[in-house]
Amino acid sequence: MTIRQTSPAAIGAPGAEDAGRPVPHGGAGQPVHGRRDRRPRRGRPFWMLAPGGVLTLLVVVIPFLVAVYISFLDLDQYTFRRWVHAPFTGIDNYVDAWRHSDLLHAVWVSGSAAVIATVVALPVGMAAALTTHNRFPGRAAVRSIYLIPYVLPAFVVGTVWRIILAPDGVANNLLHRLGLDTSGANGLWLNGPRSYWALIAVQIWASWPLIYLLVLAGLQSIDHSLHEAAALDGAGWWTKLRSIVVPHLRGPVALGLLITVLHIFNSFTLPFVLFGVPSPHDVEVLPVLTYVESFQNFRFGLSAAMAVVSLLLILIPLLVYLRAVRLDVGEDDR
Amino acid sequence: MTARRRFLALASTVVLGTALAACGSSSDSGGKKATLDVLVSANTIYPDQQRQWFADVSTKFEKQTGSKVTFETFASANDELTKIQTSALSGQGPDIYSLGTTFTPTAYATGAFEVLTPDDWTKIGGKDRFLPATLGISGPDDSHQVGIPFASRPFVMAYNKDLLAAAGIDKPADSWDGLLDQAKKLTKGDVHGLAIAYGDGFDPWKFIWAMSIQAGNPLIVDGKAQLDQPTVKTAYETYLGWLATDKVVDPAATGWKNAQAIAAFGAGKAAFLPMVSATSKVTLDKSAVAGKYAYAIMPTIPPGATATAANGVPATSILSGDNLVVAKYSKNKDLAFQLINMLTSADSQDLYYKTFGELPTNATEAAKLQSDPALAAIVDSAGKSHNTPFNGAWSQVQLALVNVVVQSVPNLSKGTVDDAALRQLLAKAQSDAQAALDKSQ
Repeated sequence: MTIRQTSPAAIGAPGAEDAGRPVPHGGAGQPVHGRRDRRPRRGRPFWMLAPGGVLTLLVVVIPFLVAVYISFLDLDQYTFRRWVHAPFTGIDNYVDAWRHSDLLHAVWVSGSAAVIATVVALPVGMAAALTTHNRFPGRAAVRSIYLIPYVLPAFVVGTVWRIILAPDGVANNLLHRLGLDTSGANGLWLNGPRSYWALIAVQIWASWPLIYLLVLAGLQSIDHSLHEAAALDGAGWWTKLRSIVVPHLRGPVALGLLITVLHIFNSFTLPFVLFGVPSPHDVEVLPVLTYVESFQNFRFGLSAAMAVVSLLLILIPLLVYLRAVRLDVGEDDR
Repeated sequence: MTARRRFLALASTVVLGTALAACGSSSDSGGKKATLDVLVSANTIYPDQQRQWFADVSTKFEKQTGSKVTFETFASANDELTKIQTSALSGQGPDIYSLGTTFTPTAYATGAFEVLTPDDWTKIGGKDRFLPATLGISGPDDSHQVGIPFASRPFVMAYNKDLLAAAGIDKPADSWDGLLDQAKKLTKGDVHGLAIAYGDGFDPWKFIWAMSIQAGNPLIVDGKAQLDQPTVKTAYETYLGWLATDKVVDPAATGWKNAQAIAAFGAGKAAFLPMVSATSKVTLDKSAVAGKYAYAIMPTIPPGATATAANGVPATSILSGDNLVVAKYSKNKDLAFQLINMLTSADSQDLYYKTFGELPTNATEAAKLQSDPALAAIVDSAGKSHNTPFNGAWSQVQLALVNVVVQSVPNLSKGTVDDAALRQLLAKAQSDAQAALDKSQ
């Protein structure tokens, strides 16, 4: 019996093990690994990519270029009707965002909250996946319950937590019964320094099921024969966890972490509903700041500049991930 | 292969034909009988009645002109702004928009709406048709008006008659200081003197504006923001002090929206509920205080004073309600004016008031309501409302004013209005407001 070694990272990469992938000029159906195939690839039906390409151009590329262009304009309520003629101000909006707005503070709040919430959500999601990995009566029900935070719309999550965390809400009642002081600033969760932790707590509550889902999928995809083989070799649960489960989960976990960080960093609805606008200073996250600049202050140019900065920031972890799982290179170049 | 090719040819003909037919049907809408498209705010209190009203208006208008009216609704001012943006850019969209009064200056600044000529006013039935006060926020001056007053929603104060009687108070005070004294008397146990929504996105600025203008500061003078003036600071100290130092407001109110303040008053937990419109009646008539409350106008004497300032305005409310505006790109302007004429006529306004409880802007119709004692305070407040500054940057000034309250909340829980922090927040509000005003010049 052979144990096929798959790159653990590749598990998170869709199609990484696609058996039906074309094998170019490799001869005798042998995949080409380890060397680059630089021969021209004539005759491939690239035109079939056209619909996807056109769609990407219309839905992603053009709006993005327009956003970048707008970020160089002094576009506001006085000029938007003839936005093409709005004064071109170069990088003024970026300078303004950097110097005169709360951009840096918002990046810090969004970024740190996203990282902290993700780090806490990871063990919670993994533990949940481990508890429902093996069969037991009622497993389907438990799995469904675990998904509730994931399937609830952010608007509902925000509204419910807003009620729970209100000064006279359930959370403070509970803390009071536990003998904790909830008077005055101690019971203020939706404004002031504690609101930052409230944001993180609610984000954890809403985020862990995604990690749970990915980890569970990873666990389920481990070939049972691997466990059998390890058991035959006399491996205990710890050895199996360390040598089989963890390497196989690296891919799904990395993907889960990345998606969760980006999702929380980009999260608009939850903080918007939870704290309202204008945001309390401690929870002024980047998406809400961008929204306020656009739709309450009508500074569309400044807001577009913020959105571009936000995109660049998001690209950092994304590129790191793409490098890690090597999704940015062709199948043949691996 | 030939069969396959033939099939492909047939399939593409069908697809192309369908697509062309679809294009054709959409362009048919610009046929002989134009359809007017109207964008109005979704009425969350009376959704069914609003749908019925849409149908009735369309039927009546079709009888008069042969043209139908279709209504679209928006949930918030931001939704509406997005709609205005996309419509103004593309040159197509609603012919008529209903705008909240305080949003009218911003909409005017976009230049997307028809400035009304004397001829246009004649088509609507003349300016004389409207209560003069309601025209106060139609445009920057008499010759540049875009907004046609449609509904009036002045703010008043509800009070619990039983609680006041038990404390020996015969009527609500006419000064903010007097109101505070009464509120102190009425605060006992879990019943508080005032119900205030500190967490609302709009309520706070209305208080600050009212107290400031009564003290002679309209917040914007000749394009200069006046948020760093002592009158504004006093207004904030008073408003924030009710909770922090005077303790006449439930400490939980730091998180309240307007609806929660109404709920607290409705549960009998507050004696006064300032800054509500007649629409609160729907909730209160179903609450524990049904039949035990009444409306009064809010105080007009600013904090720390015994009379309205010499240069002050005894405003009881912002000029609040809805204006109708006609889009510049509309191809059916005359038809739009005909519809507005119909909607602002006395009988239409009477029906609208009876259905939704919003006061008429039609002068004849408003005069009729003045004799109704239940409405006395609200009608009184309609006449004593004052317009907020007509400036394209007003929305930003509003936001700056609310922001001061939001950022002050953590300090309120400590039982003080932190003077240094308030000064700092006011300085920031002043500079933000001034920056916005500078762009409007």
